[in-house]
Amino acid sequence: MSRRKQRAKGEPKDLDLLPMMNLFVVLIPMLLLSAVFVELAVIRMGLPSDDAAPVAPAPTLGLSISIEEDRWIVRASELEERAIDRSAAASIETLRATLGDVTTRFPDNRDVVILSRPTTRYEDIISVMDVSRETGLENVSLLGAES
Amino acid sequence: MMDILVTLTLFLLKSFVLDGEIVTPPPGVMLPRSTARVSPEATLVVAISNDAILLGGEPVASVSAALAGGDLLIDELGDGLDRALAQREELAARKGKGLAYKVTIQGDRDLEFRILQKVMYTCSASGLDEMALAVVQKPRS
Repeated sequence: MSRRKQRAKGEPKDLDLLPMMNLFVVLIPMLLLSAVFVELAVIRMGLPSDDAAPVAPAPTLGLSISIEEDRWIVRASELEERAIDRSAAASIETLRATLGDVTTRFPDNRDVVILSRPTTRYEDIISVMDVSRETGLENVSLLGAES
Repeated sequence: MMDILVTLTLFLLKSFVLDGEIVTPPPGVMLPRSTARVSPEATLVVAISNDAILLGGEPVASVSAALAGGDLLIDELGDGLDRALAQREELAARKGKGLAYKVTIQGDRDLEFRILQKVMYTCSASGLDEMALAVVQKPRS
């Protein structure tokens, strides 16, 4: 009875899914291959424009981190200079602790200047930026040091 | 079965369209790792590999030539940026929208600071004040 009904409507007995399946089987690996699985992110930097540059820096802490060949030097106007050996294994933690110390003593300060040498590696700069951002110093500016 | 396949395909297509080629760094550029979590936007992209500076995927200047020049400004990149900006301005004017002067810099992790400094200076000289440095997210520890 039902068969006769189907015939009467002219419906096919079974959908032919094979071409469709073939298409998907090709499409899915292709998309998987091209999909980006590495999570990208950006670090925003508002660069002061040239007009703003000559304005004397506000009378703040003037915190700066110099990236030297073998050490970081944290300087600020009201602090003694601190040098951190970069070759030590826990050096990045020491830097974090030092910056954390600075932020607890000067909680209003959000600015830090990173002084790099012309040959400083990009990734080293990024890692110092990471540490300062994590300790709450969000306004990071980059500056080239005279070599 | 078909439903799963269709859903999967659509999902993959969507993710492909979303972060397609706009933010994918060109081959030869290994982005530095960082703990930053801000997701990238579709902007003008300047990529710096070990030997060339690329604007929107097209090489515009070589790193060695840029380093050789004593000036902070990289002329070829500046010209390219100006052209790209002029195009975008025209597009934005037709759409009736304002143009955001943003640029994303994709630098290789082994770059030296002086080349980054020159690129950033050139970008700001072309009026691109808002810069973003592209990085690869470190896995959360």
